[in-house]
Amino acid sequence: MSNSLTTGLLLVGVFLFLIVLFILRKGRISMKFALVWFIPSFAIIILALFPEFFELFARIFGFKTISNLVAGLLFVVLFLIIIALTVIVAGQTTKINLLIQEISMLKMKVREIEKKGIGYDK
Amino acid sequence: MKEKILIIIPAFNEEENILKAYNKICLFNQENGTNYDVIVVNDCSTDKTLNICVDNNIPVIPLVHNLGIGGAVQTGYKYAMDNNYSVALQYDGDGQHDVRYIENIIRPILNGQAHLTIGSRFVDENSSQFKSSKARQMGIKIISFFIRLVTRKKIYDVTSGFRAAGPEVIEDFAKSYPIDYPEPITNTELLKKNYKILEVPVSMNEREGGVSSINSWKTIYFMINVILSVLVVGIRRFKHVK
Repeated sequence: MSNSLTTGLLLVGVFLFLIVLFILRKGRISMKFALVWFIPSFAIIILALFPEFFELFARIFGFKTISNLVAGLLFVVLFLIIIALTVIVAGQTTKINLLIQEISMLKMKVREIEKKGIGYDK
Repeated sequence: MKEKILIIIPAFNEEENILKAYNKICLFNQENGTNYDVIVVNDCSTDKTLNICVDNNIPVIPLVHNLGIGGAVQTGYKYAMDNNYSVALQYDGDGQHDVRYIENIIRPILNGQAHLTIGSRFVDENSSQFKSSKARQMGIKIISFFIRLVTRKKIYDVTSGFRAAGPEVIEDFAKSYPIDYPEPITNTELLKKNYKILEVPVSMNEREGGVSSINSWKTIYFMINVILSVLVVGIRRFKHVK
């Protein structure tokens, strides 16, 4: 594996880690979601430090150059993260939907109670 | 005027225990002349927990979606703030916590000795018969070590959910409270914000029924998450410091 590829990967891994750490420090992300990014960033750093893994994988999966394997792996990782995030977004959409319905029904109930004046003193 | 004291009981699928826990508190109030109010936060249980609360006139906030333990407890703190309680106490409805210790836990807050108190199984070696498994104790010691690392203060029972908060901490918790594994993380945050935390020796019982929110296969994730969270709290700068 070429030196520039190793350095590049290391930089990407460290950069990713620092960005997530920065957001965490600001308290704008929970550890659960931070880990979604920490794990790939650690994986990238470790793989960059031990390129033997890459050479082995490249041989097993029949990649002609290691840079192709790296690009392919990054593609797969990003793909998985995006799918995971899509699932989370979908879940939140459902929750918000149900929440709006619950609040709307509550509003109706409150209005009915106000009209009847039952258990409601001004 | 007597101080207003609220007991927050987060409940997720506690149909076997919730009524028992509530009755124990009511009986204690009658026998000892205390005036502990109770609020159950039903975290969208899939069993009959909510029906049992409603049928027995137990004050309950029914969450319309499952928020997890942190979201449920925070709802209780919000309720405490809205209703001007001077002390809010977290209490597990599964029989682990003993109503007789509540007085010891809230006293330092009423006396102004602490902002938050933790009912602890480990401060006094002889106090608790049940201290949970060796593995879990090991985990607690490791987390305790990391909290000491970032705050230079020692907390022994970092995961104890038997805690009481005064008005300032109630307000803090009502504003922000972690969803997952809130106890060790909030303990660290409060220490970082220079609040005073005091551990009170208590003895806990084994669970009477139901399932603990921390089960075995998630333990590794729990440890990684909590340790990293504690370290991150260590490098955070908080705006509102005591």
